[in-house]
Amino acid sequence: MTAVTTPAPRPPAARRGRTPVPADPDRGIVSVADRRRRGVRWPLRASHVLLLVSLVVVGLGPILWLAKAAVTPTQDTLRTPLALFPHGVDWANLSEAWTRFEIDHYFGNTMWLALGSWAVQLVVAVSGGYVLSVLRPAYGKVLTALVLSTLFVPAVVLLVPLYLTVLDVPFAHVSLINSFWAVWLPAGASAFNVLLVKRFFDNLPREIFEAARVDGAGPFRVGWSIVVPMSKPILGVVSVFAFISAWKDFLWPLLVLRDVDKQPLSVRLPALESYVELDVFLAALAISTAIPIVIFLIFQRTFLQGAGLGGAVKG
Amino acid sequence: MKSSRRKTALVLVGAMTVSALTACSSSDDDGGLTPAEASAAADEPVTIQVAIDEGLEQGAIDAFDTRIAEFEEENPNITVERQEYTWVGTTFAADLAGGTLPDVFTVPFTDGRGLIERQQVADISALVDELPYAEAFNPNIAAAGQGPDGGQQAIPIAAYGQAVHYNRGIFTEAGLDPDDPPTTWDEVRAAARTISEKTDATGFAEMTKSNTGGWILTTLVYAMGGRAQTVDGDTTTATIDTPEYREALQYLHDLRWEDDSMGDEFLYDWATSHADFGAGKIGMFVSGGGDYGNLATQNAMNPDDYGVTALPLEGEDGAVLGGGTLAAVNAKATDAEQAAAVRWIDFYYMSKLTDEDAAVADAQATADQGQPVGVPILPVFDQGTEDARREWIADLTNVPLDQFAPYSDRVVDQPLEAEPPVATQDLYAALDPVVQAVLTDEGADVDALLADAQAGVQTLIDRG
Amino acid sequence: MALTTVRTPEAVLRAETPQRGPGRAPRRRTPLTWVRGGGLSTLVLALPLLVVFGLFSWFPIVRAVVMSFQSTNLVTPAEWVGLENFQYVLADPLLPQAATNTLYFALLALVFGYPVPLVAAVLMSEVKRMRGLYAALAYLPVVVPPVVAVLLWKTFYDASDTGVFNTIAGWFGLGPFPWLQDQAWAMPSLVLEATWAAAGGTVIIYLAALTGVPPELYDAAEVDGAGVWRKVWHVTLPQLRGVLFVTFILQIIGTAQVFTEPYLFTGGGPANSTTTILLMIYHYAFGGRGDYGAATALSLMLAVVLAVLSAVYFKLTSRWSS
Repeated sequence: MTAVTTPAPRPPAARRGRTPVPADPDRGIVSVADRRRRGVRWPLRASHVLLLVSLVVVGLGPILWLAKAAVTPTQDTLRTPLALFPHGVDWANLSEAWTRFEIDHYFGNTMWLALGSWAVQLVVAVSGGYVLSVLRPAYGKVLTALVLSTLFVPAVVLLVPLYLTVLDVPFAHVSLINSFWAVWLPAGASAFNVLLVKRFFDNLPREIFEAARVDGAGPFRVGWSIVVPMSKPILGVVSVFAFISAWKDFLWPLLVLRDVDKQPLSVRLPALESYVELDVFLAALAISTAIPIVIFLIFQRTFLQGAGLGGAVKG
Repeated sequence: MKSSRRKTALVLVGAMTVSALTACSSSDDDGGLTPAEASAAADEPVTIQVAIDEGLEQGAIDAFDTRIAEFEEENPNITVERQEYTWVGTTFAADLAGGTLPDVFTVPFTDGRGLIERQQVADISALVDELPYAEAFNPNIAAAGQGPDGGQQAIPIAAYGQAVHYNRGIFTEAGLDPDDPPTTWDEVRAAARTISEKTDATGFAEMTKSNTGGWILTTLVYAMGGRAQTVDGDTTTATIDTPEYREALQYLHDLRWEDDSMGDEFLYDWATSHADFGAGKIGMFVSGGGDYGNLATQNAMNPDDYGVTALPLEGEDGAVLGGGTLAAVNAKATDAEQAAAVRWIDFYYMSKLTDEDAAVADAQATADQGQPVGVPILPVFDQGTEDARREWIADLTNVPLDQFAPYSDRVVDQPLEAEPPVATQDLYAALDPVVQAVLTDEGADVDALLADAQAGVQTLIDRG
Repeated sequence: MALTTVRTPEAVLRAETPQRGPGRAPRRRTPLTWVRGGGLSTLVLALPLLVVFGLFSWFPIVRAVVMSFQSTNLVTPAEWVGLENFQYVLADPLLPQAATNTLYFALLALVFGYPVPLVAAVLMSEVKRMRGLYAALAYLPVVVPPVVAVLLWKTFYDASDTGVFNTIAGWFGLGPFPWLQDQAWAMPSLVLEATWAAAGGTVIIYLAALTGVPPELYDAAEVDGAGVWRKVWHVTLPQLRGVLFVTFILQIIGTAQVFTEPYLFTGGGPANSTTTILLMIYHYAFGGRGDYGAATALSLMLAVVLAVLSAVYFKLTSRWSS
């Protein structure tokens, strides 16, 4: 996570002697001098072309095939899956898939689930991080340790007890089954988010908070007008993680959202798999893929930065 | 023909009985709702959720809505909401535990006893006793829904015997006579081989997943003269590690490895096998005899291609494995909801079996939506009642009855045998991997597999 | 709850150690001073965390431990049964197979998913123009919702000779292959899809790490006369050591909890060849018998193994970073 806050430290430059080429801050393994050498340049180019072709075939290929199959009649897909429209294009698949699967409805559920999870995670992480890092009550250390300890508990352990908890929430004694809260609230219990935000706050200059306090601002005011505005970068990261994980969830919504009307697309698609003709089913898969891809292309930068940070943990 | 559609929608895949559950019934303390309480509750405005099969064509949903409207007109105080529900082993336990079942839901015969014992369904026996046909059930079939005291806590709405379904179009393509389907297992094997050689279709497909592997294997065993359990007083013994199971597995092994007539998909469950059969990818497969409704409403099968024939029986004790579907009421339903739920069961599932007006009304609503009417089913009451029912709806019947003849003409004379009584779904589940092993490993050690399954099932039987 | 998302304890842990600034001056503690000093507001601000973690993390964790020693069916009161659940699970003939399958999945995931993204990332880091295009292409499969990816690949894995992959194999005179329909093929098929769906994320992680390698190190290596290969071997890889280890452990922890692929592809078949530990847990709890005790007992055993892994990982990484 070092990359979140500070650039990776560079070792003291211990270079001696002549520099063969001007220092290039963006340079990689292959130097400018290397690139001039034929023995390096051509293999390098070839490797890039090869890489691009592989990426297109492997990364894009299946998705392109799905796009093709979405508008191909079932029998063509079954008999000649790789032929290009031997018996024409069947555009009707798309509209049939849209209505049969009520994609707008279930995609709406997916978005709603992701949105709610995101909001809960943000509230818990920001308020929690603020308390643990800035306000530091006497019980803060214990609390931090308790939050921290949950990092070591793999999600799988919680599957059954969490399910039973959602069935009958302690104290409140209500069942959250078939309620979006059954997905949103457990999503908020992410130690990763809390500690990430806490750590970010730890690195903010404390003088600002102290000054504000001296000026008579209470904890809420300091939080709202100073900490929240300053934490935009970290909130972006938390948001990407929150959204992606909500997006990918399958088992948990499958268990707690038994009401078909509330299920996300990921739960609905397999349920209808056996009841829908293959071409329409593939059209439904294609639409379900197209939507996130469009979102990805729009927010490409944020996504890739967020994903990169996932590994920047080691700094 | 909702009942026939429903009947096997439920039998399919198994879920072992759930030893866990939620909420107590509002009235299980006094052993069920009395008629007096029921009539007191009868006029309260009440809303109930009732099960409707998942994945239906729009026409079938519309037909269901028509029936709901008719019911609400007759019972102005009751509002009926449909809730998509299909009994599937791998999710039923979660539904039960989560308390998310509709007020009226259906389960296969195999699950009735356990649910009643653990009070996971409402005790509606007093309400059932009030129904005019309460005494008329075929006793063997009624037993599946009775509690230890004999009270009818769940209502059998359909019964079936296993059958061989075949695709007439594929038979014709392979040069076989669709009007003269195989009558012995050797003929089934020969036909499967011919189909595999002469067409693109799978000759003989076998379900293997979500307890269906054990279910169909046991069907073969019954048909070849074996049984899965023997009951002696309180002692139940699994009889899996037996020559009959070996014979049935050997039969599948020969089709798979000697003839290569079982295609290339060995992970079929109930839904996917029906989907592929409906789509014309399968020549023959074994499933419940009343599955046509599902094939038509969920899988859009071409009616002209559909054929069904009786299961070949061999050996002295060869019998048709039978099963059925129970309608049950959610244990959490209030008194008023229970009363309304039983009325719905009576209206939607039962009266069309026993009452001419109801039968015609149901058939009309179904036929109007282009959905199948008149699929022959096994009688829940007696053959006379069933014959009368077919008579009532004869004019509205739109399924090709002559294509059902090889099954319906013969099944009535076949000995029907109930499913193994104890830990049924556990037994089926334990046999799934055995069937899968035989179909995916030519050298599978059948003796070892059966010995392991026998031990595992016996443990579960003894644990109760 | 994202069952597949794994977070790294280590990175966040390390954040704990240095606390900046002096602690606040000690105060006399009376309720009034506590409220005046913002104690109440602090507590209110801590509430979301307390409630959400209390109900949906700490309580279930404690409950998991308690339940593993109980026989619970949610109808009758829970009964203490000592180690019976553990004995039952350990005696389950499926356990060794599920454990082996899970390890096999993890191993295959490493073989398929470890070197390829690394090579791709190293090559990609040398691309000067349109690197964004490369990265986007690599990341595209990650964007496909996992369930959609599985269902799509199920079509690819059609075992008939006109299946998608079998058609392609046919071009090279190979196949048809059974893919999911064979005990030996099923698991590699699952892992292949899982790798396709996840590798892009790993590529991006490596790519980010590669940009963090100080260019001076390459300059220095060149002064010593190092060629491209030696630079890769002696500079790049050692610099990536940390991130490589992180992804290694994370991948193992993640694959130990795999569920969606076996559940949707094969249901654990054929003949239990793809039954994983999590699938077993699911079946204990939700597959019919509602044996929550056995399910939590098995969960705890898996958790201990994973916790040990996490600890090893933490220990090693903290040694390296100090």
